[in-house]
Amino acid sequence: MNPLWKNIFYKKIEDRSIAYFLGSVSIFSDLDNRSRMQLESLMHLRTYNAGEVIFETGDPGSGMYVIRSGAVKIFNRTPKNGEIELAHLGVKEFFGETTLASPSKRTASARASEPTILIGLFRADINELAQRNPAVAYKIMLSLSRVIGERLHFSDQIMNELRQKHPDLFTPEAIR
Amino acid sequence: MSSHPPTIGGPADRKQMILLFLVLTAGLATGLAIYSSASSFITMIKTASAVLFLPILLSLVLSFLLEPVVSFIERKTGNRISSIFIVYTLCAILLYLLMQLIIPQWQSAWNSLQADLPRYVTGMISYLKDLGLRIENEAPFIDTADLVERGRLLGKEVINAVIVSTPQSALRIGGLFLIVPLFTFFFLRDGSRILRSCISLAPNRTFEMVHDLSYLITRQLSHFIRGRIIEATIIGCVIFIGLSFTDIRYTGFLAVFAGVTNLIPYIGPLIGMVPGILIALVDLGIGGQFWWIIIVYFFIAQVIVDNFILIPVLISRYSNLHPLWVIIAIVLGGNVYGILGMVIGVPIVSTLKIIFVEIRQYRRTFSLSERLPEPEP
Repeated sequence: MNPLWKNIFYKKIEDRSIAYFLGSVSIFSDLDNRSRMQLESLMHLRTYNAGEVIFETGDPGSGMYVIRSGAVKIFNRTPKNGEIELAHLGVKEFFGETTLASPSKRTASARASEPTILIGLFRADINELAQRNPAVAYKIMLSLSRVIGERLHFSDQIMNELRQKHPDLFTPEAIR
Repeated sequence: MSSHPPTIGGPADRKQMILLFLVLTAGLATGLAIYSSASSFITMIKTASAVLFLPILLSLVLSFLLEPVVSFIERKTGNRISSIFIVYTLCAILLYLLMQLIIPQWQSAWNSLQADLPRYVTGMISYLKDLGLRIENEAPFIDTADLVERGRLLGKEVINAVIVSTPQSALRIGGLFLIVPLFTFFFLRDGSRILRSCISLAPNRTFEMVHDLSYLITRQLSHFIRGRIIEATIIGCVIFIGLSFTDIRYTGFLAVFAGVTNLIPYIGPLIGMVPGILIALVDLGIGGQFWWIIIVYFFIAQVIVDNFILIPVLISRYSNLHPLWVIIAIVLGGNVYGILGMVIGVPIVSTLKIIFVEIRQYRRTFSLSERLPEPEP
């Protein structure tokens, strides 16, 4: 494609609505256009500076974030004020989805590693959507449970592999 | 680093004192300037808000009431605006039918009430006189001259309020009929958007918590407002039915008055039964019907229906206020906005309590896992 046209198209995609963007995010890709438009009206656009903390371990968690632009580092703090990086997420990836269904504390910290725009979807918004349009809320929760199920399955597999390699790590005393 | 002890009474000390004096004077002058400009600013805001306060408040209450119906229809139609219009049409039809049914009867009842009012006030004054004489006989050390005079003044005020300000309030109510539906429409359509844009002002770190709390508080508030309005309506209906068994006049007005005053806990029901008892006393005298009216007001409406059935079912224990807070709310509300302030003072304080309790509950929810587990017995 001609670079000029490519540039125009690229700009156009960037300027498109959140609803359009959500179509490319795996958790919302099953939703039709109308549902995504409805979802757009419930989402929150937040802008973060590079290095700005999004949440810390132990903060009350009430929802998930999708990265619209920029990048986010997910990490755990060590007792000596160090950091263990758990993941480095980019555009169209999401995090914090486990707190969407029930109130719980954040289990890791998140920080914007460059100027970042996040789209937030929270439990309160899903509850509001369930009141107005239960079908869309149901679809979202189904996608969400699919993603959480897949991740649980994946972590189960890793645990099993670890158990086979290091059985001493999984004795009741060691777990305690 | 060396430190010198301060020289007391030296030239440096005097300089400091002059400086302190100047700073204090400047501070005082600035404070006075800010106070005078702030008080005129507050007066300006108060005047502006007095005009908008009632319509906005009524619209908010109405939108909280209609919200579940609109959401229910939205689930079927999938469109918010058309759902609001459907609810508005239904309400308009209901209101029209109600007016067709009620207005002719209420018009005549209202006219005769205006004529009867001086009679009831005279009856009240003569009853107070009797009461004063009886108290003088039983306990001569109590000065009762004031009682009759106060009753007379109160009666005069009530007559003035009803007869003189009726056309004014009719005009104001007419205005409200235009403004309130308009405001309610926008609150129903854009309410969540308005709330979201307010929440979006929160800094990134606290945004999530503010958003969650605002949802929880709004949910509790809508339950509370809906509960109170339904409670007042049912109490009004119970009193209407109860009084219909007697020959007492103005049953409709008495039921509406009792329902509205029922919004104020503890004191409201007592105020609500005063006109009913007064009319019964003057028109029917003390007898079987009078005692039945007392039983309807006290026992059936308040004890059985309100305390045993409605309050446990409709009103969350969150919003229960200590009687002391109720009195403070009524006195403060009365001072700021008159009779309207007395009626809405208590719900506003209940609202503040709901906000406070929700924040505390939220903090507690997220500090649960920090506590040590209870030892098992």
